[in-house]
Amino acid sequence: MSKILIVEDEQHQRELYAMELQEEGYQVDQASNGKEAVELVKNNKYDLVVLDIRMPEMDGIEALGKILSRDKKIPIIIYTAYSNYKSNFMTWTADAYITKSSNLGELKEKIAEILASRSK
Amino acid sequence: MNRFFSIKLSFSLLPEFLLISGLVVLYFYRYEAGGWFFPLTALAAGTYAIVRFFLSILTRARFYSRMQDVLSTINEFKKGKFSTASNSGQTGKGPFSSLMSELSVMGKHLENILSTQKTEISNLRELYHNIVLSISSFFIALDEKEEIIFANESFCKKFQYELEDIVGKKIDTIFIFLTSTIRESIKRVLQGHEAVVLEKTHLVSANKISIIADIKLTTMVVKGRTQVIFVIDDVTAICKKDFQINLISQVSESIQRDDEIDSVLHAILIGVTSGSGLGFNRAMLFLANPRDKALKGKMAVGPDTMEEAIKIWSSVSECGVDIYSQLKSYNENKEGGGKLIEKVQTSSFSLKDEANIFVRALNSQEHIHVYDAYNDERVSEEIRGFMEVREFVVTPLVSVNKSLGVIVADNRFNQTPIGYDNIELLSIFAFQAALLIESYNNLHMIKKEMGKIRDRQEAMVESEKLAAVGRIASHIAHEIRNPLVTMGGYARRIVQLARDVPKTGESIAKAATVVLKESERLEKTLSNVMDFSRASHFIMEFNNINEVISDTYELLKNLFQERRLKVDLKLDDGIPLVKSDFNQMKQVMLNLFQNAIDATPPEGTVTVATGANGDRITVSVKDSGLGMADDDIHRIFEPFYSTKVTGVGLGLSIVKKIITDHNGEVSVTSKKDGGSEFLINLPIPK
Repeated sequence: MSKILIVEDEQHQRELYAMELQEEGYQVDQASNGKEAVELVKNNKYDLVVLDIRMPEMDGIEALGKILSRDKKIPIIIYTAYSNYKSNFMTWTADAYITKSSNLGELKEKIAEILASRSK
Repeated sequence: MNRFFSIKLSFSLLPEFLLISGLVVLYFYRYEAGGWFFPLTALAAGTYAIVRFFLSILTRARFYSRMQDVLSTINEFKKGKFSTASNSGQTGKGPFSSLMSELSVMGKHLENILSTQKTEISNLRELYHNIVLSISSFFIALDEKEEIIFANESFCKKFQYELEDIVGKKIDTIFIFLTSTIRESIKRVLQGHEAVVLEKTHLVSANKISIIADIKLTTMVVKGRTQVIFVIDDVTAICKKDFQINLISQVSESIQRDDEIDSVLHAILIGVTSGSGLGFNRAMLFLANPRDKALKGKMAVGPDTMEEAIKIWSSVSECGVDIYSQLKSYNENKEGGGKLIEKVQTSSFSLKDEANIFVRALNSQEHIHVYDAYNDERVSEEIRGFMEVREFVVTPLVSVNKSLGVIVADNRFNQTPIGYDNIELLSIFAFQAALLIESYNNLHMIKKEMGKIRDRQEAMVESEKLAAVGRIASHIAHEIRNPLVTMGGYARRIVQLARDVPKTGESIAKAATVVLKESERLEKTLSNVMDFSRASHFIMEFNNINEVISDTYELLKNLFQERRLKVDLKLDDGIPLVKSDFNQMKQVMLNLFQNAIDATPPEGTVTVATGANGDRITVSVKDSGLGMADDDIHRIFEPFYSTKVTGVGLGLSIVKKIITDHNGEVSVTSKKDGGSEFLINLPIPK
């Protein structure tokens, strides 16, 4: 069973993603900002991280760097309400950049796609 | 004086002394002599008396004669002859001699004084004569009928007249060109007015000698008759220098004042011909046109006839050196005619024709002075016919080793020989003119470049504005999108979960679907905003804009039907492909269609037309809506500006950004109640 870390400061959104992804059959951990996420990554092994950008204490861009410096191979999907960060080179190290939507279909497809390619 | 009296005394008392002494002697001897004493005494007395009488007569006669001498000497003095006294008074003795010698001394003194004065006067005369000779002023004297009664040598020499030929002739037959000011001045001095001074007046004699002169007019009464005295000073040379400096500065000024090169060139030609007596009679400008390989007549200044020339000169000399008033008066006096201008402007000489003297001057970059066109081999028949003058000069306009054209000038009307100084003036002037033309061209280029820079700057400001707008928009979108996706996400969840709820499940799902759809709609709007601000990464391909339009129309077909709008597609099948991003172009058309749909009331028509125009293709989207107010037209492409109640106000600014990114242009025209038309043009790739 793949283990996914969801990093999102908006509690309702975070819980929604967790529920939907658990229903898809994933094991899900939650972090409410970058700092928590970095801590969790330090102590746990995740197959994938879903990362928001704008968060208090430590934002997604900073967390992205810190997570990757610990584990270069961990797949990260940036999932944000900003659409224009896609052109920002700081986000290019992530495996995917998806603009948030009420329809989680795109996110779920991307997760499945990445995990499938990794398991090969 | 004592000596004079002693002499006189001894002389006059001598007879008395003799008589008394005789009587005394006789008295003592009367007794001895007896009876003869008395008669003897009487005889002696009578003799004495007679002697005395004659003596007195003698004395008087002598006195008168001496007196006469004195009187005649005085008379001589009266006549101014002092030398005679000195001669006659030399001889004789006595009081008269003294008097005469005194007179002679006096005469000598007077003679001396007189001769000194005579020398002084003659010296002065010589001095005045020398002064008159050494100044170059010309003198002429006229009688009351304005006929010449005298002219000095330098006048005759300057104007090449013999004195006897001009005496008795009227002044206006000597000077063919007398300004009204001179005529009036003659009348004024004749009426008793004091001296009149006319500065820098143009004089042209009947034998075509022209000068600029300071003229002083006075009157002199000789033998009860009034004479008008003209003192004429030739100031041509001084004027020329002043004039030249003035002229150049004025022409330089004109280049700053005028935007049009034509008026600058015209000012140059006016400069060459102006100053009546200073410049040339006619001046023509030819400019080299490298594209047509021809030397083309550009413009000309100059009279067509002698009468016209005099008319122009007389009005020009009233207004001095100012080119602008000269230009004005020139134009005022140039009635109809203008044959010269017409002739010059229709002329064109091939630059390859080396035999042409104009072309030769242009190529050699040196002036050519033709003294006798009819006997000069360098001058072709064509040019002889064109110039119709014996002497002319061709001066090239050279700027930084580049020949721009030539100025051709002559003195067709006053026939004055073209002097070295005139050519010098023309050369300097041509050089200045060339620089002016060159700097005008440079100025023109700079202006053009400045325009480009300004456009670029405006574009930069605009893109900066758009970038700022993008940052703000992205922030706002973020803030809205977050709660929106939460709401939408949960609504979707409700829809899914409601399926398992018996009875009410369906209606719950239906209600949640509404929430879901609405949040999805909002999300889409947000995406459009983000599309706008996102850095554009075009995929440039060769696309047919007609296809983009048809594609977009297919998408919106239903909407058109829903709104009961007619769509008229006038697509030109022949338009070339343009390099563009298909999706971006689709976005443009989508926005324009949407805009037209919103602007047009039901039953209206939206017309879309394409075509090619030169190196651009054009797309027009026209609606039959209400049109826009002027204010809206100016701001319609600004981000967040919307006339619609429900618009975000980004649609048209997206259109503008995309079209500008494609090196195209978009504009709008609108008539109140007549609908609006959006026009796009895009470059056709070479």
